Amino acid sequence: MANEEVKSKLKSFFMSDLGVDGDVLQYDTALFGDEIGLDSVDSLEIISFVDSTFGVSMTGVAKENFQSIDTIAAYIEAHKA
Amino acid sequence: MTPNDKRCVVTGLGVICAVGNNVEETWNSALKSVSGIHKTTSVDTVNCYADLAAEVKCDTLDEVDAPEEKDRVSKLCIKAANEALADAGLSNFNDDQRVSVIIGSCVGGVISIEHYHQGAKEAVDIPKMPIASIASQVAETCGAGGIVTNVANACAAGTISIALACDLIRAGKADVVIAGGADSFAAVPYSGFLSLHALDENGCSPFNRCNGITLGEGAGVVIVESYEYAQKRGAKTYCEVLGSGVTSDANHITAPREDGLCLMEAINRAVKNSGIQKSDIGYVNAHGTGTGKNDNAEITAFKTFFGEENPTVSVSSTKVLTGHCLGAAGAIEAVFSIKALTTDTVLPTFPYTEEQSAALKEKVGTLDFVQNTARPKQLKCVLSNNVAFGGTNAAIVFSKEQGSVTAQPARNKKIVVTGLGIVSPLGNSKTAYFDAVKAGKKPESASVKSTITLDDYKDLGIKMAFYRKLDNLGQLQTVSGMRALQDADFKVTEDNAKDIGIIVGTSEGGLGSTYDFEELIAREGNANGSAFKFPHTVYNAAGGYLSICSGIKGYGVTITTGPLSGLDSIGYSMNVIHDGQEQAMMATGTDENIPVITEFAQKLGVAASEVVAPFANADGCVVGDGSVSILLEEESYAKARGAKVYCYALGYGHGRKNVKFGKLAGSDEALDKAINDALADAGLKASDIDAVCGFANGFKKVDDIEKGALQRVFGEKLATMPLFEVKERVGEGRAGSAALAASEAAMLLGGELASDNAYFVAADGSVSSKFAEAANLKKILVISFAAGGSYSAVVFGK
Repeated sequence: MANEEVKSKLKSFFMSDLGVDGDVLQYDTALFGDEIGLDSVDSLEIISFVDSTFGVSMTGVAKENFQSIDTIAAYIEAHKA
Repeated sequence: MTPNDKRCVVTGLGVICAVGNNVEETWNSALKSVSGIHKTTSVDTVNCYADLAAEVKCDTLDEVDAPEEKDRVSKLCIKAANEALADAGLSNFNDDQRVSVIIGSCVGGVISIEHYHQGAKEAVDIPKMPIASIASQVAETCGAGGIVTNVANACAAGTISIALACDLIRAGKADVVIAGGADSFAAVPYSGFLSLHALDENGCSPFNRCNGITLGEGAGVVIVESYEYAQKRGAKTYCEVLGSGVTSDANHITAPREDGLCLMEAINRAVKNSGIQKSDIGYVNAHGTGTGKNDNAEITAFKTFFGEENPTVSVSSTKVLTGHCLGAAGAIEAVFSIKALTTDTVLPTFPYTEEQSAALKEKVGTLDFVQNTARPKQLKCVLSNNVAFGGTNAAIVFSKEQGSVTAQPARNKKIVVTGLGIVSPLGNSKTAYFDAVKAGKKPESASVKSTITLDDYKDLGIKMAFYRKLDNLGQLQTVSGMRALQDADFKVTEDNAKDIGIIVGTSEGGLGSTYDFEELIAREGNANGSAFKFPHTVYNAAGGYLSICSGIKGYGVTITTGPLSGLDSIGYSMNVIHDGQEQAMMATGTDENIPVITEFAQKLGVAASEVVAPFANADGCVVGDGSVSILLEEESYAKARGAKVYCYALGYGHGRKNVKFGKLAGSDEALDKAINDALADAGLKASDIDAVCGFANGFKKVDDIEKGALQRVFGEKLATMPLFEVKERVGEGRAGSAALAASEAAMLLGGELASDNAYFVAADGSVSSKFAEAANLKKILVISFAAGGSYSAVVFGK
């Protein structure tokens, strides 16, 4: 799966499942900042989505990997089978 | 000292949980430190990382009238209630208006939701689903004819029920209250807590390993009586119930505040309202769920609150016995607390190794966290506290002595309506409502709903980071609540955040979201629930979101009885202000119409197939929704901040004649009682009333009850008395419509609505309609109903 496709799927997930407005969500937007405001409950959903969609476990992974769609996609890229 | 007419005593106890099917068995298990946590046998655990639960094992749950009409949760509750009533030497009350039932619950009839969804989608399951069915079915079983309601504040609901019971008795509205909580273990909460990674795979270990909770199930019931009533009938008494405290975190929908500040405020209010010293508390039955966040917040709160005044108070969590029984937790723990108090025993949390004990000591300092075995301790007062999703904190004091409770010190103070927030299928502002009245708008179809838009959020300054989390019900409630504050020009600040509270009234609350969650896990498996969606299943999430959005940190309760909950929120709010607990209260009515709600109405045969008007003698009604929030303030408080005043809230009344939950027929006369009760509360006569804001929705069975009662109460005068019926425009929006009817009254009295279409009932029962002017209206009666035979009435005046 191309990196762009991973990012696009992640963006769609944030919009459909976590209620994020697509207009303000760029690939480098800070997910846990004031504007998007993700919290620990949302991170559980991200972990679950990444596991079931890309087969990559992010359980217990350091916070910096969750900073943006870019960083999550990079983690997926580096760890997919 | 608490005057005798304000004393509340406990005269009966009943319990069912994983370690016992009655008080004696449960107490013996507690004394022997027996845990009820085992591998679950009742839900699918495939691919789930935790498979433990504390389930009730009882063969006699079906020994109730018409068991096929009751969910497991009602059966658990009725069993505990019957034990408590027998213990108190009480039985059938024959619709006695002085006997009330208040039951707390978190997930209500969730097993019936599962059964409906996975079975043939039969109508018989529908009345068993809402939390509102529980108290109604308990009342039907024992013939309680007073206020019958449910508290839906998730895991704090059981404690708040007992607190509310005392508030009613002290306000003179009841002599006996059957108070408690009930919840059953089921796939929805199991999958939900799994998705939050909040279950401990090894079984909960409160204040120790703190890796998560273990779910339990059961019911606890205490009979609370006015001291004078108990004395008169020569009842044995266990103890007194002194003060309570309820607050809101205004922080996060699932997690408690780490600093425990608002929990501490709830405990502080409970102790202060009891008129006792901190050092009078000998034992605290903590919430102690076993999650790190909860347990650490509680330890912080206890250490700070008790401080040097009571550094060695005993503390424990009994959830290792029963599991976390959600809405039943506070009620079951009340039974433990009362038994502890009356037998001078402190109960333990277990098991702790020596090493774990040493680690705990390190954390809690001088506080006496009781470990492994129960032990004797002379006790004067016991505190029980619980916290819940939605950010609710609740604490209550049980005592051997009568304390110095102050109740109703502000009884003579006047209450004014200062702000209205209207969200309805007509739009989400007062202006949209006025425009619809002018245009004579009718519902566009037989099923209508409200729609929140980005413009609403923009206008109210609500950021995406917040609104993205809201489910439909939360959207409706947040926008109507924020609109009411905006309308009242009430700015919530750090200084006044604790002076204002919220009571949300709802008929179905989170039932629709619970159904959606059930659909999700039926499709994806219990291991694949959604941590994002699960919080919406609790009925008090909507009120919790409003508290977070607005910053309101005072009293926060969600009640659910049926449509009339939108008026009960006003009546109970008046009581909270009269009690001096808050200076201002946001009373709301909120219900949603997502597709499954219309499906339920159609299956039950109460949905019209086309648009019908009030008094149309139809065989159904338009299904609607809405959220209406009404800001009430103590008059001098409102005047001090220069608030505009719509009208005065003068009186509240209630009536009940028990019929089966889901039915109304045969309960007509209870509406007469509700009206007369409200008139008496307001110090008025029927002849003082100039107009009525009613509940007619076009469905003959409903409308005839309204017509009949108004004819009996108002006689000939009715023919010239305007009846304003808001459902002609918004459909049957249950609690949302009841609160809208109250808003209509406020707008007519406040001069904002100069005239509206009104219905007139002639002596022969025929109905006509024409526009009526508001200018000469001085006192307006507002009425509503609930399935099971409950009615409420509120009087507003200029």
